[in-house]
Amino acid sequence: MIKRWLQNIYEWFDQRYHITPLLEENVTKKMVPRTLSWASCFGGLALLIFLVQVFTGMLLLMYYKPHPQTAWDSVTFIQSNVPMGWLIQRTHAVGANLMIVLVFMHMARVAYYKIFRAPRELHWVSGVILALLTTTLAFTGYLLPWTQLSYWGAKVGTEIPGAVPVIGEQIVLWVRRGPNISGETLGFFFSLHIWILPAMISGFIAMHAVMIRRTGISRPL
Amino acid sequence: MNNSPSDQDKRRTFCKVCIGGFTVASAGAVTYPVVTFMGQPVHFSANKPLEVPLEELTVGQAHYAEFQGQQIILLMTEKGPVVLKASCPHLGCNVIWNAADSIFHCPCHGAVFDDSGAVVSGPVSKELAQLPFEIKDGKLIVT
Repeated sequence: MIKRWLQNIYEWFDQRYHITPLLEENVTKKMVPRTLSWASCFGGLALLIFLVQVFTGMLLLMYYKPHPQTAWDSVTFIQSNVPMGWLIQRTHAVGANLMIVLVFMHMARVAYYKIFRAPRELHWVSGVILALLTTTLAFTGYLLPWTQLSYWGAKVGTEIPGAVPVIGEQIVLWVRRGPNISGETLGFFFSLHIWILPAMISGFIAMHAVMIRRTGISRPL
Repeated sequence: MNNSPSDQDKRRTFCKVCIGGFTVASAGAVTYPVVTFMGQPVHFSANKPLEVPLEELTVGQAHYAEFQGQQIILLMTEKGPVVLKASCPHLGCNVIWNAADSIFHCPCHGAVFDDSGAVVSGPVSKELAQLPFEIKDGKLIVT
């Protein structure tokens, strides 16, 4: 009965929007090259983890308070008082590490098999940008719990651009929103972490995916 | 391989049940934590009596505190301590203590209450709600 009912709903949409050919072409009848191994999944798995990060991040936002006086308390509150909060918080933190690992495994495989050669040069360029965005996302997220570790992590991390000749000092001041890691830095990293970088990374992921669909998956010669 | 069609059907059903089972189990494993996460968080302070040492309460000074998720006022008057809900019975704003005149003043619509919570003037007919308390070992305990 329920099956029939669902079937009717599906057919109603299918008659209007022709979903079946779309599904067949892209999912159910789409063939992947026989020579691909499990190692070809790293990119897709990184995307899956990105989606998990977006989802758990949205949940954490319900309780996180981006202010030096409340950030640490709110994270502790999530971990110990919110039901299943420890799970969501840990998933988000572990997922960040896993996403970086997968992105670099994906990159290593693409480099090893020389998949970046023509016509896929821009796949590689957009991929490098995605790798940089992923590490920046992880770095900005690391400051948010406002612990000793994250404070000093941000302190050391933001010192790195100081090595740039002439304008290095200015970059450090700009990134920290002042001479030291302060509430201003926290606010800046927060906005980068929850909106600016995810929006940018989504755009580059879309470009990356469209390019792969246009050129097709690379297969060994 | 001499499988009868019924054997194939059995395998097919077995696979379907397994895939369906795993799908439902994984959906549950994701849904349960997410739904509980969005539920009411446990405040450890809830239902715990509030204890304030009497020496912290000076005569004529209102002491604001949180008790069971609501703002309350501990006030030491010359007649003894009073414990009131801070929420104005008119529309629920938190009243402000005016030490100079010994009155509570509501910032929203100007209701005025005296130091026992009784109405002096303004758009209210009900006094500030009193909360039961006891004094034990030099501490004021709101229960």
